[in-house]
Amino acid sequence: MVDYVLFESAAGYALFERIEHDEIASQLDQVQEAVADFARFAKLIKLKAFVPFLSAENALENINDVSEGIMSNHLKTFLEMNLPKVKEGKKSSFKLGVLHPVIGSSIQENLGITCVSNETVNELARGIRLHFNIFVKDLSENDLGQAQLGLGHSYSRCKVKFNVNRVDNMII
Amino acid sequence: RGGGRGGGRGGAGGMKGGAKVKVETHRFPGFFIARGKEDALCSLNSTPGEAVYGEKRISVENPDGQKAEYRVWNPFRSKIAAAVLGGVKDIWIQPGSKVLYLGAASGTTVSHVSDVVGPEGKVYAVEFSHRVGRDLINVAKKRTNIVPIIEDARYPHKYRMLVPMVDVVFADVAQPDQARIVAMNSHQFLKAGGHFVISIKANCIDSTAEPSAVFAREVKKLQEEKFKPKEQITLEPYERDHAVVVGAYRASKKKSE
Repeated sequence: MVDYVLFESAAGYALFERIEHDEIASQLDQVQEAVADFARFAKLIKLKAFVPFLSAENALENINDVSEGIMSNHLKTFLEMNLPKVKEGKKSSFKLGVLHPVIGSSIQENLGITCVSNETVNELARGIRLHFNIFVKDLSENDLGQAQLGLGHSYSRCKVKFNVNRVDNMII
Repeated sequence: RGGGRGGGRGGAGGMKGGAKVKVETHRFPGFFIARGKEDALCSLNSTPGEAVYGEKRISVENPDGQKAEYRVWNPFRSKIAAAVLGGVKDIWIQPGSKVLYLGAASGTTVSHVSDVVGPEGKVYAVEFSHRVGRDLINVAKKRTNIVPIIEDARYPHKYRMLVPMVDVVFADVAQPDQARIVAMNSHQFLKAGGHFVISIKANCIDSTAEPSAVFAREVKKLQEEKFKPKEQITLEPYERDHAVVVGAYRASKKKSE
């Protein structure tokens, strides 16, 4: 059972909260069934908070951190502000769902928040990804597309630039 | 074979014949067939006046007097073109589609897919090689419906911030663990009821086994991952020992039963 889900988008970070519900069916089945239909999915989860990136540079720094599984300061502040307080040296009583275990352990180490990444979190993230611009009211599909486009270019340019030897790093 | 190249007229004007060439719609929306001396598959150029990789362009005047430019899509250079000309039943990539394209290389086929999906669609083009990735970025600069992603398709979580839920996953990654790569990307980004189109090069998976055995094994791997392969064609005569497999992902049970 996860209580919150962290979702990283090209426009900013979002935190979703699971809404209480009767657990008749297994969690996973229930989520899988509801994902396609926003009305049903919105009964399982709601947007708790969203913080946009401050600038293109800020977005680039954050995607570099996220892809390496590092919690950036921007993300740290966001989580501290929007999740219940965790006492120093103690474990949180709630669980945060994250999409990749590495960023989970980074959050867990720094903030003491118990992080989970499993199939249920993946299914929830599929639904969030599908309906993201409906959940975040001021973000149109077009805005999100533009954010992805801009960030895709800067992320990729940065990757290519850092490879000074101009050789392929093939993994065989 | 390379027929029709240059053919005495030279330069980029080979296929240009003014009124002599007619362009017809293909049965797949967004795809076109030019009828000239030789027929050719093409796509409607979203950046008229510019070729992406030196391909031929055909300018025609529509009945309403509007000019349109098409780019010839060579099946010897593109698996999608080869599959379409090879008679695949459905390619699923159409105007308005969001496509996750794994193994984008320098972006030649990606540019045609960008033409097909048009301004309402998007192509999320993933390529790991930095050498060809530079070309991909340059293609994407002129075509704003392409989001370039220079990253390893084995680690979809690294680019999870860049990709929404998509309608189609196309893969031409030529790696032994291709099925797994496609599965991981689909579990994260492909809509339920979305489709996949995978090009399989038998040699890249297992060079000792019979190609048909390799294809069968890959199809089985896909079936184990919520994929429902519906169609498989070989790419002869355009490619040797290649197959394209097309199918649905998490297809709703009610419909198929």
